[in-house]
Amino acid sequence: MAEGRAREPGPKVAPEVLRAVLHGIGATALLGVLIVVGSRNLSHFDAALVAYTFSILFATFGLTYRYSMWLARPPTAVYWRRGWQAFFRRGFRVRNAVSWCSRMASDVLANRFILRRGRLRGLTHLLIMWGCVLAVAITFPLVFGWLHFRPVPGDLSLYEAMVFGFPAFRFPHDSLVAFLLFHGLVWSAFLVIAGVMLALRRRIREEGAVALQRFAEDFMPLILLFAVSLTGLMLTASYTWLRGYGFSFIAILHAVTVIGTFLWLPFGKFFHIFQRPAQLGAGFFKDVGRAHESAECRRCGHAFTSRMHVEDLIEVERKLGFRYQMPDSPVEHYQWICPPCRRASFALAQGLAWHGRRGGEPLDSRGERPPAPQFVNRGIGAGPLDTEDSENYHP
Amino acid sequence: MPVPERFEFFIDASRCIGCQSCVQACAECDTHKGQSMIQLDYLDRQHSTQTLPVVCMHCDSPTCAEVCPADAIKRTEDGVVQTARKPRCIACNNCVLACPFGVPKMNTRMNLMMKCDMCYDRTSVGLKPMCASVCPSQALAFGTREEMARLRPRAKPVNSFVFGAQLIRTKVNVMVPDDARKEVVDVTAAMFEPAIGHDVLDDVFEGGDA
Amino acid sequence: MTEPVGTGRALPPLELETIHAFGPTRAYAAGARTDTGVEPDKRVKTHCCFCGQQCGLELKVKDNTVVGIEPWYEFPFNRGMLCPKGVKRYLQQAHPDRLLHAYERDSKSPGGFRPLGYEAAIRRVAESIERIQREHGRDAFAILSGASLTTEKTYLMGKFAHMCLRTANIDYNGRLCMVSAGAGNKKAFGVDRAANPWSDILGAEVIFITGANVAECAPITTNYVWQAREHGAKVIVVDPRITPLARTCDLFLPIKPGRDTALFNGILQFMIEKDWLDHEFIERYTVGFDAVAAEVRPWTLRRTAEVTGIAEKSIQRAAELWGQAKTSFLMHARGIEHHTHGVQNVLGAINLVLASGRIGRPNCGYATITGQANGQGGREHGQKCDQLPGGRDLANPEHRAYVAGVWGIDPNQLPQPGVDAYEIMRKAHAGEIKGLLSLCFNPVVSLPDNNFVRAALEKLEFFVAIDFFLSETARYAHVVLPGSLQEEDEGTVTQVEGRIIRIRQAVTPPAEARADWRIIQDIARALGREQGFTFESPEQMFGELRVASKGGVIDYSGVTYERIEKNFGVFWPCPSETPEGVPAPGPQGTVRLFEPGSWNSVAKGAGPFYFPDGKARFVATPHRGPAEDVDAEYPIILTSGRVVSQFLSGNQTRRIGPLVDNFPEPKVEMHPRLAARLGIADGDWTTVESRRGTCTLRAAVVQTIRPDTIFIAYHWGGRKSVNQLTISAQDPISKIPEFKVCAVRVRKAEAAPDYAGQLEPQQ
Repeated sequence: MAEGRAREPGPKVAPEVLRAVLHGIGATALLGVLIVVGSRNLSHFDAALVAYTFSILFATFGLTYRYSMWLARPPTAVYWRRGWQAFFRRGFRVRNAVSWCSRMASDVLANRFILRRGRLRGLTHLLIMWGCVLAVAITFPLVFGWLHFRPVPGDLSLYEAMVFGFPAFRFPHDSLVAFLLFHGLVWSAFLVIAGVMLALRRRIREEGAVALQRFAEDFMPLILLFAVSLTGLMLTASYTWLRGYGFSFIAILHAVTVIGTFLWLPFGKFFHIFQRPAQLGAGFFKDVGRAHESAECRRCGHAFTSRMHVEDLIEVERKLGFRYQMPDSPVEHYQWICPPCRRASFALAQGLAWHGRRGGEPLDSRGERPPAPQFVNRGIGAGPLDTEDSENYHP
Repeated sequence: MPVPERFEFFIDASRCIGCQSCVQACAECDTHKGQSMIQLDYLDRQHSTQTLPVVCMHCDSPTCAEVCPADAIKRTEDGVVQTARKPRCIACNNCVLACPFGVPKMNTRMNLMMKCDMCYDRTSVGLKPMCASVCPSQALAFGTREEMARLRPRAKPVNSFVFGAQLIRTKVNVMVPDDARKEVVDVTAAMFEPAIGHDVLDDVFEGGDA
Repeated sequence: MTEPVGTGRALPPLELETIHAFGPTRAYAAGARTDTGVEPDKRVKTHCCFCGQQCGLELKVKDNTVVGIEPWYEFPFNRGMLCPKGVKRYLQQAHPDRLLHAYERDSKSPGGFRPLGYEAAIRRVAESIERIQREHGRDAFAILSGASLTTEKTYLMGKFAHMCLRTANIDYNGRLCMVSAGAGNKKAFGVDRAANPWSDILGAEVIFITGANVAECAPITTNYVWQAREHGAKVIVVDPRITPLARTCDLFLPIKPGRDTALFNGILQFMIEKDWLDHEFIERYTVGFDAVAAEVRPWTLRRTAEVTGIAEKSIQRAAELWGQAKTSFLMHARGIEHHTHGVQNVLGAINLVLASGRIGRPNCGYATITGQANGQGGREHGQKCDQLPGGRDLANPEHRAYVAGVWGIDPNQLPQPGVDAYEIMRKAHAGEIKGLLSLCFNPVVSLPDNNFVRAALEKLEFFVAIDFFLSETARYAHVVLPGSLQEEDEGTVTQVEGRIIRIRQAVTPPAEARADWRIIQDIARALGREQGFTFESPEQMFGELRVASKGGVIDYSGVTYERIEKNFGVFWPCPSETPEGVPAPGPQGTVRLFEPGSWNSVAKGAGPFYFPDGKARFVATPHRGPAEDVDAEYPIILTSGRVVSQFLSGNQTRRIGPLVDNFPEPKVEMHPRLAARLGIADGDWTTVESRRGTCTLRAAVVQTIRPDTIFIAYHWGGRKSVNQLTISAQDPISKIPEFKVCAVRVRKAEAAPDYAGQLEPQQ
């Protein structure tokens, strides 16, 4: 028996750290190369934006490092491996590709699962998410010199968009397209600000949110997004209506907020942007699990999840240093016990402690296998939360 | 604000009468209104009226958080293991299956694990959790250790549990007899034990039976 | 719509159209009730609207809607504890089924009713009352009232019947609830109230619970019992079923329904044999012990075992525990009271208490657990068929004179005692009673043999129901008036301990709905007899009630709203003045009854009990079996009772979604041994037939019930109602029906019943 968990002793710099640093360096270098190439040896690179570029390069290192470290954690590593295995499984590839597209559309693009948590909540997230996506899609190529506009030689009423140094398309400089395009960041700022306002409203108003939220985790990202959007809008206002009043000061302010946000990316809540797609992998993992052998609880005999899941969890727990194994019992490992039977065992142990002190005697089970405990109330919001939960409790 | 240290949660499942007050009151809690996080099962309704009230035990070293691939479960400084962080949870079900006490629930439609957070909205401002407030049998109780010692002098709180070769310590206590020799509750040892209760036939006068 | 069945009575109609229009539908929290950002406008400290425990709680109100509850930790009885009904009660308010207008019967309208202006409805009611009383005599118009009303309203209902309508025929649904206990207590102690506050349970060495499913019907009492056990108390439970509390009790006596006096007699005989008696107490404070001792002499353990169906050793153990205890608390409820010998059962239990001498002292107590919200207050102030305010008797000339004086009428104007609630139905069926007003009563669900009740209601010339939802009974009304929910009115109730507490208004009645007392006063005005019915607030009514109860056994004269609020309630008797040398009761009133040396208005110092000699009465309780015992044709005992999530006829709780989910539909609970004999498996559709009706429900095969008995919960109406089967035989003294025993036969149903698939669980 061991309290807590005993980790295997390792060298001073763990191999996963070393690997993560290398991954970080690699990714950063790759982006650097792309910048050089994409801007035609920096010929289209805007030197004024160099601070942005370096902050993005730093964020790239940080994100890759953190991602790599995250993937090195036993549970994540298993899921990562299993997710891809599941995805590329023979006979499942076409179906997986289709389901990837539909999951991508409903979960990532449309935020369906967030809308189910609350419609206003979903709207809030959609506004912030699409505002940020739009802004990133516009600014990153500009900053890296991958995109720039130039007047069309010979026809000064037309602009030409250059992508990676190649001409892409032309448009009149006084057209609606031009207006929309050149003010893209204004629109994205509007979306983000609206979303941030809704998010702040919820965080101030709802008791549940108030109880659980943390400044660094929950408010900091909103403040950063708000600051970026507001200073960005101020820049537009300055050159559009105020003849550039305070422009350079606002520009520095804006740069500070943007760079701050980039540097914050790997650490705080923003990391979920990179982590979240893992839920697609979790979906494939479950699909494959369902298509194969299930695990039967070794107390009540009911199937409760996939055998693969239990075996993977046993492995994960071993790597984490947990010792749920039950060597002297036919159960072998506690992971083979379903959640309801875990609850039953817990209550039985406590009840047994009182035998002889409170009334009642052990009820003869006549050698029968103990039945699966039954949830007393399967009503709305009280019982299993949906079908998967029912499977966890088994019907 | 952290949960005041002097207040603790005490469970005495053998007091439970299965009335479902906790289940109903849990759904009134502001952190997950409309959804009940209490697990209340009939152990074996055919043989006994015994019910099993289970709230999160708030482990010192929570298995659910360790096996979470998404780092979605956090334990606060005051020892409360919070429900999954919404932006992170990927609904993989690891926590549901790994929790030694069988606590978390999985809301697949929302891609979200949900579980008891000891009514953090209440306990962090010095109020009792909803379930322990209303529980008519006080199988779920919340108060100070001194209060408990005064009210239940023949019982003592224990917060160490054995599962196979694993010892788990929790923030939440369960009540065992004060003269119990061991300071731990061996959960896996009781797994196949019969329930304690009365059998009607033991006390029925069979000669007069219709 | 009706189908004939073998047992003579027709199956109740499904009433699908009415259900479609008026429910019951299930309400769940939505909108402001799930929005955690809503800051309530106010929090109202009041009490639960359901059982007799009357737990304190806070209602959270936003925009005249009750949006949630918060525990009221300071209220001493429950200190924040609530059962599921208390937690979800808020969902009954702002409910889609709520009656917002008056209605009159109209077969062409959807659901059979069409809205009617409030004033027009009142006029129609008054005209009908006037006509029926003119044509058929005053007593041809009857009133049924309820014990979930505030005490002020119950007082007004009695006054309305006796002074305004001058009909003898008023009774209340406590007739199905508290009357056996009330009659037994009056016979033995001279007063009808729990003898002790619940805090006396905590220090008891032995707790004897008989015929009470405490965990489900009085859930908060569970903690008192467990708390006593934490200090070493032994818990004895007598019940045909292993109730949740009985699961870990120290001694469980699985009694055969209807044999309670035999058990009490057997235990007392064993105590006498062992001389576990408090001779000094018996000598000094009681009379009649010798007759009782003679009566119980034949009740040897063997004979008791044979009659009660309980193993000898268990009876002996009970006698040993009870006989040798230093302190104790005995509690009972409908389990021993719902019998044709309910009063005898109660007296048998009281004999055990008196023989032990353990009453009137700290940690030595006795109580009946009241069932309804105002089960205590509702039986005190004149809505019982033979009663006047203050626990006075309608047949007693002095009492009549006093109350007539308070009301400013001639005593001769008061009618003589009328008949009980079931007899009102029989008279309606026989055509003697032509008109009926009912408030807070759902006899179509709650009375036994309820297909007879339905037939009786159909014969009425005019039936007006005051209700907040269209109950199964109100479906038979000619006019329905929209009354008030508990949270829509002010007042007081008296809870299980005899503690008078304050019910506070949280919201106003919606649309044309009115406080019930205003409706009654409006009818009095429309009748042109408004004298005595011009109260402007419940507090004014309470003021008059204090005067009307003054000098009676149930003396409220010293109680004010302010005093109640200041002291978390006041226990009656609480006279405003006491004779010289007699100390006035403390701020909380008379918390514990029968304390040695205490003064009361009957004994006037002669002794602690409420008789002129101050002594309690032992009453001999010869054992009689149930009115309908099992035989070859109907070989199985049927007993009925409650589940924790439903309340009484379910008119409120069957509309609260989460409570319906708690226990959706009634089941036939039976032992596996019986099920095996009948070839029934758990979950099978099972038909139960008695001589009065038939009922098909799913079986729950569980080992927690006697093998000769089946159990069905009674909260459902129509074809799911167990009261189609129960017998209307009544106790000769209390007139309580024998809900707890009748003979049935049981078989596996050939097919699912008609209602399956057509009705939701709560309908």
